[in-house]
Amino acid sequence: MTLRWRIVALVAAATCAAAAAVGVLVHHASRDRELSQARDGARTTLDRAAAIYARTGAIQGSGAVLDAPGLPGDLRRLVEKGHQGTEFTTGPDGPEMWAARPADDQVLSVRLDMSTAMRDIGALDTNIILAGLMTTAVVLPLGVLTAERMSRRLRLAAATARRIAAGDLDARISPATRPHDEIAEISGAVDSMAAALQERLLDEQRFTADVAHELRTPLMGLVTAAELLPPGEAAGYVRDRVRVLSTLVEELLEISRLDAGAEEADLSPCPLGPVLEEAIAGTGLSARLRTGTAEDTGQRDREDIGQQDREGIGQQDVTDGPKVWTDPRRLTRIVTNLVVNAHRHGREPVEVTVAADGRTVTVRDHGTGFPDDLLEKGPQRFRTGVRERGRGHGLGLTIAVGQAQVIGATLEFGNAPDGGAVATLRLPERPEQSERPEPGPIHG
Amino acid sequence: MTTAFTPPGPGSPTEAHLLLVEDDEVIRNTVRMALERYGFTVSTAGDGLTGLEIFRERQPDLLLLDVMLPELDGIGLCRRVREFSLAPILMMSARGDSLDVVSGLEAGADDYVVKPCESAVLVARIRSLLRRASFTPVVRAQRGGAPEADGAAGPDTLAFGDLTIDTRGMEVRRAGEPLALTPTELRMLLEFAGSPGVVLERRTLLSRVWDHAWQGDTRVVDLHVQRLRAKIGAERIETVRGFGYKLRR
Repeated sequence: MTLRWRIVALVAAATCAAAAAVGVLVHHASRDRELSQARDGARTTLDRAAAIYARTGAIQGSGAVLDAPGLPGDLRRLVEKGHQGTEFTTGPDGPEMWAARPADDQVLSVRLDMSTAMRDIGALDTNIILAGLMTTAVVLPLGVLTAERMSRRLRLAAATARRIAAGDLDARISPATRPHDEIAEISGAVDSMAAALQERLLDEQRFTADVAHELRTPLMGLVTAAELLPPGEAAGYVRDRVRVLSTLVEELLEISRLDAGAEEADLSPCPLGPVLEEAIAGTGLSARLRTGTAEDTGQRDREDIGQQDREGIGQQDVTDGPKVWTDPRRLTRIVTNLVVNAHRHGREPVEVTVAADGRTVTVRDHGTGFPDDLLEKGPQRFRTGVRERGRGHGLGLTIAVGQAQVIGATLEFGNAPDGGAVATLRLPERPEQSERPEPGPIHG
Repeated sequence: MTTAFTPPGPGSPTEAHLLLVEDDEVIRNTVRMALERYGFTVSTAGDGLTGLEIFRERQPDLLLLDVMLPELDGIGLCRRVREFSLAPILMMSARGDSLDVVSGLEAGADDYVVKPCESAVLVARIRSLLRRASFTPVVRAQRGGAPEADGAAGPDTLAFGDLTIDTRGMEVRRAGEPLALTPTELRMLLEFAGSPGVVLERRTLLSRVWDHAWQGDTRVVDLHVQRLRAKIGAERIETVRGFGYKLRR
């Protein structure tokens, strides 16, 4: 049961209980009052009749009766023992109040008809019940309204917290105009948490960007200067080392960006084949690309485009084969790193295969396979798995895993039964990430 | 990845005149030397204000600038140059973060590269920008008298609402008024005009206009679409979320 309905049920129960309690109390109080009035009246009449009887031996005109036939048995027995008393009872003629006392050997009694008084109390009860129902009818919607508002605010808080968790650090709950209560408090706490998180992330990003600037600026001079050197063996070494240094710096910067969690995928529908081809070509290394997806060429993710656009899109990408929703820059980065790694630590032939689902890419080599340590713990920074250093920095796979995360894919490492390392990249069907918001209008 | 650097042979076409604005002396000199090897004529400046002055004076074919500059920073320089020139602007960013890239593109840069980059990459980008500029229409000075009636639109003139594109004279008018489009903006508009009502994916635009492959940054496209919209009317180019853009017929 949601909080809202719990609150509504509680309000309804409380209102009904209050109305019932008031009703019972009022009912009893009025009944007691009526009875005691009747009792007093009956007793007075009886005393007067007794005085008249003692004086005159007759009871005419006193309102009392001698040996009344309807007198309740209990009262009669009480009087026969010599006491006097009153009794309220419901006889054949309706509710009545009796008062009786001994008079010589007889029983002198007075009977008061109470049906009118009891009817009045009945009417009062009905009114109290009606009033209770009306109160409930008024209070319940108010309760629903209040519960609804609270529930809405709590839901908003939860939704915002989820958005923040999903990476939208600009999300805030607050308008500050909210009433100052516990919900406002929790909203404020979530907001300040998001602000602190954002601040830290921005600091981190700023720091990374500053580090990038400080490292890349001298490197740019070095890269260009190295290119200007006249050809020769030494120049070759310099260029090679500069390239290694550049790669290392870029990889470290990339890792720190990934660590800062600031990376956002730029998703678009991409033909997997050409992107992979280009990625492999970019490495300058040999790898065979196999796509086993000829049959599902027609599958496209385009349910949400209007009819009008359909013809347009159809025109230009019918030729490209199956498409995936991904960020081609990051996909290229992942595949490049996997292929380079396969060449560096495995043995040729290196095969890049797209599975029949059109979304699973495997990169396999025919070397000795991934070391057990990597299979267990995943890629570790600067651990290359080989004794002799200098063959890569061990950052490539870490980056591949990080980039896979950014595009919502999973990257698993395993070894083929017949030897060779197998990295399996599973791309998501269509990642649930919102598109990058459009930049605002440009002024000036 | 070998640096295929090809010095211009005797018969190579005369390359363009570039202005390089960069505060780091080593980068300024080495990049100038590298670009000169490719046959470009290179002027240099060490800060934004000097850069602006030299740009005004020598009217280079392309401006190559660093984002972080003393006096007047790259973003400011971009904006100031765009006030009077449509020459292609290529930005170099060492930070490579959105702040640099997006503000530079907003300020009017046509493309950006992240430092460090090899000369071959830089030259490829420069050539791509210059190719775009080579068919640039000179924006005609506003002539006196009423603009020609749109009814006279010949086979070389395309019309989209109040927008007319003279594909031969390479002139774009909005409600009769000539528009000053940069070569990149014009190239993009022509891509749209070539298939009106058809969604062009960002990647498609990136490869056709910028010659970027899959690794390109689609923010370049988004920001140019914004700039183009500001000039030809925001409603003319529609966003198809998740896919790209299309020109309204």
